[in-house]
Amino acid sequence: MAPGVALFDYDNDGRLDIFLVNGAPLADPTPKGTIPQKTGSAYWNRLYHQRPDGTFEDVTEQAGLPGAGYGMGVAVGDYDNDGFEDLFVTAYGGNKLYHNNGNGTFTDVTAKAGVGGSGWSTSAAWVDLDNDGYLDLIVLRYLDWDFNDVWCGEHKEGFRAYCHPDFFKPIAPLVYHNNHDGTFTEVAQKLGLAKPGKGLGLAIADYDRDGHIDFFVANDSMAEFLYHNKGDGTFEDVGLVSEVAVDVDGRTYAGMGVDFSDYNNDGWPDLVVTDLANQRYALYQNNGDGSFTYASGSAGIGQMTLAHSGWGVRFMDYDNDGWKDLLIAQGHDLDTIELTYPNLHYREPLLLARNTGQGFVDVSAQGGDVFRHAWVSRGLAIGDLDNDGRLDAVVTTNDGPVHVLHNESHTQNHWILLNLVGHRSNRDAIGAEVSIVTASGKQWATVSTAGSYLSSSDKRVHFGLGKDAVVKRIDIRWPSGIRQTLSNVQTDQILKIEEPVEHISK
Amino acid sequence: MAAIVAGSLSVAAMWAQTNEDFDRGVAEFRAGNYASAATCFVKAEATSPGKTDALLYKGKSLIHLDDFPGAENALRSYMAAHPQSPDAAYLLGFVLHRQNRPSESLAAYTQAAALATPTADDLKIVALNYVLLDDYSDAIKWLEKAVEFDPKNRDAWYYLGRAYYTKGRLAEAQKAFQQLLELDPRDVRAENNIGLILETEAQPGAAIEAYRHAIDWQERSLHPSEQPYVNLGSLLLEQGQTVEALEPLQKATELAPSNAYCHLKLGMAYRKVGRLNDAQREVEKATQLEPDNAGAHYQLGRILKETNSLARAQAEFNRAAELQTRAAGSRGLPSDH
Repeated sequence: MAPGVALFDYDNDGRLDIFLVNGAPLADPTPKGTIPQKTGSAYWNRLYHQRPDGTFEDVTEQAGLPGAGYGMGVAVGDYDNDGFEDLFVTAYGGNKLYHNNGNGTFTDVTAKAGVGGSGWSTSAAWVDLDNDGYLDLIVLRYLDWDFNDVWCGEHKEGFRAYCHPDFFKPIAPLVYHNNHDGTFTEVAQKLGLAKPGKGLGLAIADYDRDGHIDFFVANDSMAEFLYHNKGDGTFEDVGLVSEVAVDVDGRTYAGMGVDFSDYNNDGWPDLVVTDLANQRYALYQNNGDGSFTYASGSAGIGQMTLAHSGWGVRFMDYDNDGWKDLLIAQGHDLDTIELTYPNLHYREPLLLARNTGQGFVDVSAQGGDVFRHAWVSRGLAIGDLDNDGRLDAVVTTNDGPVHVLHNESHTQNHWILLNLVGHRSNRDAIGAEVSIVTASGKQWATVSTAGSYLSSSDKRVHFGLGKDAVVKRIDIRWPSGIRQTLSNVQTDQILKIEEPVEHISK
Repeated sequence: MAAIVAGSLSVAAMWAQTNEDFDRGVAEFRAGNYASAATCFVKAEATSPGKTDALLYKGKSLIHLDDFPGAENALRSYMAAHPQSPDAAYLLGFVLHRQNRPSESLAAYTQAAALATPTADDLKIVALNYVLLDDYSDAIKWLEKAVEFDPKNRDAWYYLGRAYYTKGRLAEAQKAFQQLLELDPRDVRAENNIGLILETEAQPGAAIEAYRHAIDWQERSLHPSEQPYVNLGSLLLEQGQTVEALEPLQKATELAPSNAYCHLKLGMAYRKVGRLNDAQREVEKATQLEPDNAGAHYQLGRILKETNSLARAQAEFNRAAELQTRAAGSRGLPSDH
């Protein structure tokens, strides 16, 4: 099911680096109660530093990041606001928090921070849930699971398969409040977030634009959760009432990856959730009144994805035309699937769906050679690796190599990349809402490293601008509540924006 | 389904038995008066126990009357005295299948096959037993044999197409349904299923065309199926052609008033066009027909939310969530657990 990938600039040199999560060896059968451990460098997590020439060097050992246990996902966030991005790595049997020392090394501070957790953790997100200026941490867990020699699938040689999630009990996530002193307190129950789920994907956005960040949990084969931030420090699941818990027919599906972003440029964050073949990926269009419309059919996503199984997913404007497209990692979860369903595939090419403004069309065939290879893709993170204004991506595969997708789209379209730095807000500005106005119209985005599946993306906010060479206005609502406006901003640049704490205009 | 074993249920031309009640029973059976036939066969057996095939024909009569437990009793009694009767053995397999006892039915067919070669119809029932056991690989194996034995067996082609379709073997499914269309160029089931295949292959336009063909072909049928109507309406609904979806969905509910899915889809279409009272009526009907249908409760919740019946809407959403949780739990543990 793993692994995850992170794109982040750990040494603040202006270039994105890559962190890859890795597993651990498993015996067959593995005794109940086992917590798998890495037995050598083949199982290490990996940190690749990007050199000025665009190549990468493995700095895992010197950074102190080989890791431990059977890794799953990763979340990036500067939890102590010291200006250096920290890493939280999820795993089966206990998670790890690595503090970035600012000198190219990291320190395992899990025990002191109190965020080790237990069980089978999957996606995690750094987000300031109470707007106190410090990032809190949400950690999903998949199932109440242990190693157990259970047979699923047909009783024939070669047909043994992974058990369906229905065979296991759901489990509550872990939610950690940042105490501002390097320690955290687990508060899932207190915040109303202890509802058991089968969480795999996690994405944040203020979907009702009430100034309080909300989040969505993609659950496998049960109702999805949309947690509404009530503004009093607690949350409630409004998935069913908001019509995002199930598909258009009221059926649950195998939620895997998720992204939460305004793809139709109407100012309201929309949702995309990947799932298994024969289910159709779910696209929910935000109606702006607290409810969503299941738009998979009308937007073209349904038919495009019926025979596919998706994991990592991000809205990203790959061609800078001002409309956020979709990039999706694919491949069925069962390595035996073709024995029983020959039309479905364990290895599948990536999907690139272009947003025309009227809906999505599959443009994978025009996306280059990389879209012709069938992989067991899982994690997916996006970011501008070479700072050329065209979003790149990194995709992990199960039991296979990682793939770096360099965006070589031939386009003269303009772009802007905004790097927000919070001061009263959390330094990463995670949760900030950014809108831009150009001659062509408005666009919105939320600052986040979360979303996709087990992965963490470039925190910088990217906008494709089409033919517009100037951004007339940039409006930012910082998590602190501070609002900021910039006018007549030149395009085709990476713009660092500091939170204006001296001039508070709430 | 009774037609599937019509061959096995015919009365043999040669009679070794002489018994007035038995003869009367045979005459009634030939005339299609199965209840009277069964009564005659009971009397015949009482008069001359074990001297005639009365129990065998009682079983056949009861099959025609859909009294499968009664038929099973008669056949088992007959087989106690005639253990080498392939006719009785195959019929026993059939009546066990009709009682949804696939494993026992398969055991009976295995016994019967030791006595005589099965027909294509027998193999078809064997395959359907595997379908009931969710073993589509074996179902396909026997259906392929059935069409090999009898290439003109329409039901066998139909079930083979369905089995392929269920396993996602779409090209083979399409071939099976096309084979069926060669045997009967206006077979509604085949064309409707070709529509489903085209829909799965992301060809909505061609699927709509296939559903429309199927509907046209059954225009003069005394027993038209709701399936092409509900499939057409559902696809149009998904395509955003909501107004066009209404008519076929209305027709589907007329044809199958006790089909919850038809009412549910019609309710969803009414909701989309803003006819909320009609939507509520249809979806409530669906929840009455299938009280444990989580999707129906969810749709009712959506409609009630739009009519500002928020407390009731919440109750329906809660009910949907409860049913989803229960359904997930009831899907059970793996076999070796």
